[in-house]
Amino acid sequence: MRAFDYARPGAVGAAIAAHAKADSAYLAGGTTLLDLAKIDIMQPEQVVDINGLGLDRIERLEDGRVRVGALVTNTALARHELIETHYPVLSQALLSGASTQLRNKATTGGNVMQRVRCPYFRDGASPCNKREPGSGCSAIGGVNRETFAVLGTSEQCIAAHPSDMCVAMAAIGATVSVHGPKGTREIDFGAFHLLPGSTPEREHALEPDELITHVTLNAPERDARSGYLKLRDRASYQFALASCAAQLTLKGGVIRSPRIALGGVATKPWRALEAERILEGKAPSKALFEQAAKAAFKTATAYEHNAFKIPLGQHAIIAELGKLTGLATTQEAS
Amino acid sequence: MSETLNTQKPRIDGALKLSGGADYTADINLDGQLYGYPVGSAIASGELEGLELEEALGMPGVVDIFHHDNFDRTLKHSPNSFAEKNTVSEPRLPFEDTTIHYHGQYIALVVADTFEHARAAAQKVKGKYRANDQVISQFDELDADNVAGLPGVLQEGDGQSRGEADTAFDAAEVTLDHHYSIATETHAAMELHASTATWSGDHLTVYESTQGVVFQRHALSHVFSMPPEQINVISHFIGSGFGGKLFMWPHAIMTAVASRRLKRPVKTVVPRQSVFTSAGSRPRSIQRVRLGARADGTLTSIRHDGSNETAFVGMHNDTVISATPSMYACENVSVTNRVGEVNHGMPCPMRAPGEAPGLFALETAMDELAWQLEMDPVELRKKNFAERDPASDLPWSSNHLIECWDNAAKRFGWENRTAEIGAMREGDEIIGYGMASQSWEAMRLQCSARVTFLSDGRLQVSCGTQDIGTGTYTIVAQTASELSGVPIEDIDVRLGDSSLPSGPLSGGSFATATVLPAVKAALDAATQALIDKVTQDGQAFSDVDSGSIELSDRALTYGDRSIPVTTLLEELGIGQVTAEASAEPGDEQSEYSFRSFGAVFVEVRWDPGISRLKVERIVSTIDIGRAINPMTARNQVEGGLVMGLGMALFEQTEYDKSGYLYNANLADYIVPVHADIPPIDVELLDYPDYHLNAFGARGVGEIGLTGIAAAISNAVYHATGKRIRDLPISIERLLMAN
Amino acid sequence: MTEYFDPKTQGGATSKSRRNFLKTVGASGVAAASTPLWAQATQARAAETPEGDPAKASAPAPGMSRIQLNVNGVERTVDVAPQMVLLDVVRNELGLTGTKKGCDQGQCGACTVLVNGQAINSCLSLAISRQTDEITTIEGLERGGELHPVQQAFWEHDAFQCGYCTSGQIMSAVAVLNDDRIGQSDAAVREAMSGNICRCGAYKNILAAVQDARKAMKGGG
Repeated sequence: MRAFDYARPGAVGAAIAAHAKADSAYLAGGTTLLDLAKIDIMQPEQVVDINGLGLDRIERLEDGRVRVGALVTNTALARHELIETHYPVLSQALLSGASTQLRNKATTGGNVMQRVRCPYFRDGASPCNKREPGSGCSAIGGVNRETFAVLGTSEQCIAAHPSDMCVAMAAIGATVSVHGPKGTREIDFGAFHLLPGSTPEREHALEPDELITHVTLNAPERDARSGYLKLRDRASYQFALASCAAQLTLKGGVIRSPRIALGGVATKPWRALEAERILEGKAPSKALFEQAAKAAFKTATAYEHNAFKIPLGQHAIIAELGKLTGLATTQEAS
Repeated sequence: MSETLNTQKPRIDGALKLSGGADYTADINLDGQLYGYPVGSAIASGELEGLELEEALGMPGVVDIFHHDNFDRTLKHSPNSFAEKNTVSEPRLPFEDTTIHYHGQYIALVVADTFEHARAAAQKVKGKYRANDQVISQFDELDADNVAGLPGVLQEGDGQSRGEADTAFDAAEVTLDHHYSIATETHAAMELHASTATWSGDHLTVYESTQGVVFQRHALSHVFSMPPEQINVISHFIGSGFGGKLFMWPHAIMTAVASRRLKRPVKTVVPRQSVFTSAGSRPRSIQRVRLGARADGTLTSIRHDGSNETAFVGMHNDTVISATPSMYACENVSVTNRVGEVNHGMPCPMRAPGEAPGLFALETAMDELAWQLEMDPVELRKKNFAERDPASDLPWSSNHLIECWDNAAKRFGWENRTAEIGAMREGDEIIGYGMASQSWEAMRLQCSARVTFLSDGRLQVSCGTQDIGTGTYTIVAQTASELSGVPIEDIDVRLGDSSLPSGPLSGGSFATATVLPAVKAALDAATQALIDKVTQDGQAFSDVDSGSIELSDRALTYGDRSIPVTTLLEELGIGQVTAEASAEPGDEQSEYSFRSFGAVFVEVRWDPGISRLKVERIVSTIDIGRAINPMTARNQVEGGLVMGLGMALFEQTEYDKSGYLYNANLADYIVPVHADIPPIDVELLDYPDYHLNAFGARGVGEIGLTGIAAAISNAVYHATGKRIRDLPISIERLLMAN
Repeated sequence: MTEYFDPKTQGGATSKSRRNFLKTVGASGVAAASTPLWAQATQARAAETPEGDPAKASAPAPGMSRIQLNVNGVERTVDVAPQMVLLDVVRNELGLTGTKKGCDQGQCGACTVLVNGQAINSCLSLAISRQTDEITTIEGLERGGELHPVQQAFWEHDAFQCGYCTSGQIMSAVAVLNDDRIGQSDAAVREAMSGNICRCGAYKNILAAVQDARKAMKGGG
């Protein structure tokens, strides 16, 4: 961990200006930044503490959307009445992540910016295209079980995106508001995270010095039901091996506006669009869910140790859809 | 007699531990102290050709960097003898040569003025390597041509064999022959290994997180060619070890060398990653079990061949077959163990070494045999109960295994089991019941202790053992209180200091059986010393036959004459009376076989729709002789069961093909968390084993971890029909198994 | 070298708690009139560790910032480098070594402290960013020499073995018991406490202690 300078500006503009002055990192909850700084993977010259910016409110906009400040903690977001009522998938996803202590610190903006959990990326020494472009990927041919993807991978990188929150947001639909030296802009949540492709070092759509100020959740559909199912080895305090966030409505006995997103199995929060197309307008049935689940993993690539994520991810989809449509009795563990 | 023994006593060190006042090694800060931070090899096999040190040496606060080129050439290897109490974990001296034997092997120690400076500089030290093309492994694949079908080199001295196992196997009415494997596991004690060294002239004091202050003192004395009297190792509180802190690791040597050269105290707290790579593991093992039986379930042949990985830097035989010869009455038994070197860090004993992995294989095989025979697994075991130890042909000192099976089955509700696979259901969940036997050898070793009558009425008891969390402080106080009549709050227990009378390692479940007799001997000796003084002319009992005076209720008594010890000390005009004494096992060791037994029953729930397996409840009945403190003893068993749950379902220290230790952290090395813990019901039988010692105690640290993995595996089979013979029983194994 | 201190100079907190504990559980043995000497040394050293001294004459060293931290209700002045985390500052600069380092990566919970009543991992928090917060460590739970009900319950239920994760367990438990949003069922407590790994496996007793302390805290505040 290198020594760094510390700034704690009181306004967004000042934060961006401070950030632009040096090789900087924004500090929100610190659960990613300090973790990676300690192991020398992130080496900022300056840390810009944004906890004084007041971005910690959750509010319902006139158009029905819900705007979440970047500094709202995972705990506060999960327990907020608006979220518990209208976005159970998000509340459940947040509460399934990390631990009580970490959720008390981790923030909405920070979680959007969470880095991958690949040990080869984190060790500072192994070849890793994300850390050192062109050096190779140690995970392909190495151990690639728990935190590795089967969807959206490339020959350059196969690390899974680790967030639970982001999977729920992908299912809900959201917009990321950013401020930068050139002003403000909105980024569609689905376009925020980038596939590794041939540039795994580029993980997101932020430009230099840009700061996430809010994430705005799409307005909930009337009568929408949603939920999150996370599967892992132990019962808590572990990243997803596979997870499914689902949101849908049931009208006239058929599924409408299904939105399915997957976690633990993909290099970014993963919309299962093909599965959604299969579900749209159909009456719920086990066979339908199996068909959707199969479609969701049609393009999957299994690696040496994570092939099981394909059936596991399919199980997650089928079980969550069954739960939401009342077909299955399987309950997610509390 | 007993008011304080075999009684639930809250720990005497409880308030300190609960208020943050207990000093673990890393909590101790000495004046002028420097901080060491180790650098580990990035490769697992090859040569270290050099180090990039320049940037690190120029960083703020850096005092020095220790490595191969500048390390102390006067150091010597410890003879590594258990009998002489100088065993070390990794025999190779730190930086001894430039060969890289495993990922994470220390290649440098950075010493700086603060922790932050030491870490920052250590991260800038880079090794220049010539890596071997392939990691060397003698252990990679099963070798079918091998006699036992197992890798590694046969170890001498494992043959506790009897009869003709092969012949009997060939002639058996029913046979099975299966391989079992267990992944490498890591102790992962919550306290990081740590060492603080300080020299005063030619005297070395080391604060160490260790399960053996005396062993480390002796090992250091060989490494530094110093008399043991010039070395003191202190470990007042230990954040447990589970075997990972039994014997000295290289960080302690590096730290003591740095302190000597820099003439300042140096503290090295081993980072969590290095604890994984460079401070021990339970090695991967592969076992083959062949059972032969009659159709009525009588075992006619047991052949158990084991093998385990060891490191190139040292030999560790994990003796996974150690319990097998004694477990069941069977005339034909053959056991072997093989060991193969790999480019991994040095393994070492981990809680219930031998028995925990060995009983996974044997007790799973017994379950498989029961299914083959269509017999209740409890009945199969009862059918083969050994009335005396079939390995030594000695009578058991005390054996209540049948009661363990019966009681645990009853508490569990085993009679509700439907034998058919997958037949028990609740909602989407399929219920599985499984059971296994548990066992651990009961040992007792030589031990010394010192007891002092203090002028204020307190009694001080000292022994060079330590309390790693098992409750040794408390049971020593209970024992001294019981024997002397001094209330427990007035017993001053001193442990964790190698300058005290030589005490045992805290390991192998032998500390209790070893230490308490020495406490009694020392108390008797101190009492006699006091009696000798007060029976001299002019003293209180000068008119009395010294053999008739007794210590009771804090006083010496003869007939109806009773004088408090404090009064006697005052009259004598001396501040205290002290005596040291030793106790050791005797002829009983060749007259009886000493072993603890137990039975563990498990219910699992399998939800096939989401591939979720969970342990629903655990019941265990244990026969450990007499529990000195049932509260702390039960806690030990429960902890062993929890660790066994992890062994069965989660734990695997993973190396990739290059020998890279992939999951050297507590996020990726999966241990049980609170949410995984089912209701646990532990019953301790109370049959004092007075053959082993006057207290009837056999020790309790390991046995909870034996058998549990097999019980879980057996329950999984009952629920799913999937026989998983490889630990951990991971989701992919359940998904992929037929 | 360990220095032994006169027991009479020790703060009475611990021994008073022990006497109280005696009354509570009727355990004849535990009330220790005598703290073992090594334990006294421990407490004395903690007490004597130079506190951040508000009257520091000299300016902070280069690269260091002088900050105020409110720890256990006391304003402490301490010089820190910006990259120093709260865990290392309370342990190494303030001498409060009851908070433990088990991983330094947010993966074990041994370093749990309360910040404004919420449990956090102090290993992943910069000290310099905590200047306006109320920080509570394990050393700050005792009141008037009495153990906190959670500490008391941990003792009665033997909810620890080695004791290394215990400070973190207790801090988490205090936060859980004060958080209305967390359910009171065993399952809810287990989940909420899953960020505190106990490798000794004393979970059963930890759960019993937490649920027992819940009653005590309701009764006595």
